[in-house]
Amino acid sequence: MADVLSVGVNLEAFAQAISAIQALRSSVSRVFDCLKDGMRNKETLEGREKAFIAHFQDNLHSVNRDLNELERLSNLVGKPSENHPLHNSGLLSLDPVQDKTPLYSQLLQAYKWSNKLQYHAGLASGLLNQQSLKRSANQMGVSAKRRPKAQPTTLVLPPQYVDDVISRIDRMFPEMSIHLSRPNGTSAMLLVTLGKVLKVIVVMRSLFIDRTIVKGYTENVYTEDGKLDIWSKSNYQVFQKVTDHATTALLHYQLPQMPDVVVRSFMTWLRSYIKLFQAPCQRCGKFLQDGLPPTWRDFRTLEAFHDTCRQ
Amino acid sequence: MGVTCVSQMSVAEGKSVQQTVELLTQKLEMLGAEKQGTFCVDCETYHTAASTLGSQGQAGKLMYVMHNSEYPLSCFALFENGPCLIADTNFDVLMVKLKGFFQSAKASKIETRGTRYQYCDFLVKVGTVTMGPSARGISVEVEYGPCVVASDCWSLLLEFLQNFLGSHTPGAPTVFANRHDAVYSPADTMVQYMELFNKIRKQQQVPVAGIR
Ligand SMILES: [Zn+2]
Repeated sequence: MADVLSVGVNLEAFAQAISAIQALRSSVSRVFDCLKDGMRNKETLEGREKAFIAHFQDNLHSVNRDLNELERLSNLVGKPSENHPLHNSGLLSLDPVQDKTPLYSQLLQAYKWSNKLQYHAGLASGLLNQQSLKRSANQMGVSAKRRPKAQPTTLVLPPQYVDDVISRIDRMFPEMSIHLSRPNGTSAMLLVTLGKVLKVIVVMRSLFIDRTIVKGYTENVYTEDGKLDIWSKSNYQVFQKVTDHATTALLHYQLPQMPDVVVRSFMTWLRSYIKLFQAPCQRCGKFLQDGLPPTWRDFRTLEAFHDTCRQ
Repeated sequence: MGVTCVSQMSVAEGKSVQQTVELLTQKLEMLGAEKQGTFCVDCETYHTAASTLGSQGQAGKLMYVMHNSEYPLSCFALFENGPCLIADTNFDVLMVKLKGFFQSAKASKIETRGTRYQYCDFLVKVGTVTMGPSARGISVEVEYGPCVVASDCWSLLLEFLQNFLGSHTPGAPTVFANRHDAVYSPADTMVQYMELFNKIRKQQQVPVAGIR
């Protein structure tokens, strides 16, 4: 007990100091009571004055005494450590019941997250500012015909440009075939077939990739009315996992100024799945972990890892 | 339809067929596999009728007519080393009409029945092979659904088989060797079953190990 307390502050002195403060407060209020009551209840004026001064002096003395006492105690109390990065909340790390109430680690975690959130929100706001649509604001009083062309450049790339970028990527990778269609107006949808391994549905908005779904080579990618099925997921766990990773990759490859580079990087990364069933994990050297092959591909080296084997 | 490997599992020392099957299914459940119904693969042998054979006394080719509960609407007709025909189940009726050309060999029906297990994207079927009343062996089928090219995922399948069967892990099925990078088809599985059944037919009947 004593050990623990000595780390931070002397609790006993602390308690005494608190009562010293209380004593000081009451003696100070006695001084003011005495001043408020003034001189009374004495026959002679001189007697009254004498009694009042004596009383006042007594009170001031006790104030002085209590103040000295408090000063003495405040030296004993000791100072809390000051150089903690999180200031006083750092004291939580001294909590002896860490296992039951991991407040401090949770606090650190929350701090990290809020930092990250702030960083990403900053990025997002930069992006959004650059592409502000202000649709509702502009529509007011403007007829549909004369709607101002204040749209951001990267969102209104001509379809022909998008077609060119995609067909260039298509030619880059012989084992990958990309079929582009525009079933819903100007937004392109890609059906990427990678060898005899998998198929990927990519939903684009201009040259930005909005959504990807990975399915097996023999799985159906069309709905009953013959459109690309962009909602249902693969029946196989391995492709569901790869879908998750592909979505992560979309967030990773971000370069708002050069959307074509982003698409190319994403496709290069996607192409590494050609060896989905043939590449053992670069960390544990095995093919299977919990029944799944290495589904993760490193964003830079494109090496294969199990989901749980990556850093 | 994924890449499938069918193999024979030998009966464990001092155990019956049934006991060995139980050991295998226990092992699957320990791995975390989930039971998903049952399965059955059967095979009947036909030989060309004597009247249609040439005068030089050439031996008639054997034809196998098979069914697989995984494809309930289909019927498979195979020749050894020959083509495999996938037809509707009506094909059975047709075979009766073709009695003059193809005759069913007596008591040739061989089948395997057992439980299907799902483990992640793997489908595992452990079956008891029976001919008439007697249990003749154990079949183990492992299918890896997501992959369609045998040579792509053989190493991966092998790792699974080694985990599951240990020292009894089979080699690569012969159908894999001929396929190169072609898409694997259900017919390839039926060929493997046909080969397995033929192997078991040739083996000496297990003396006592019937179904308990
Ligand atoms: Zn690993």
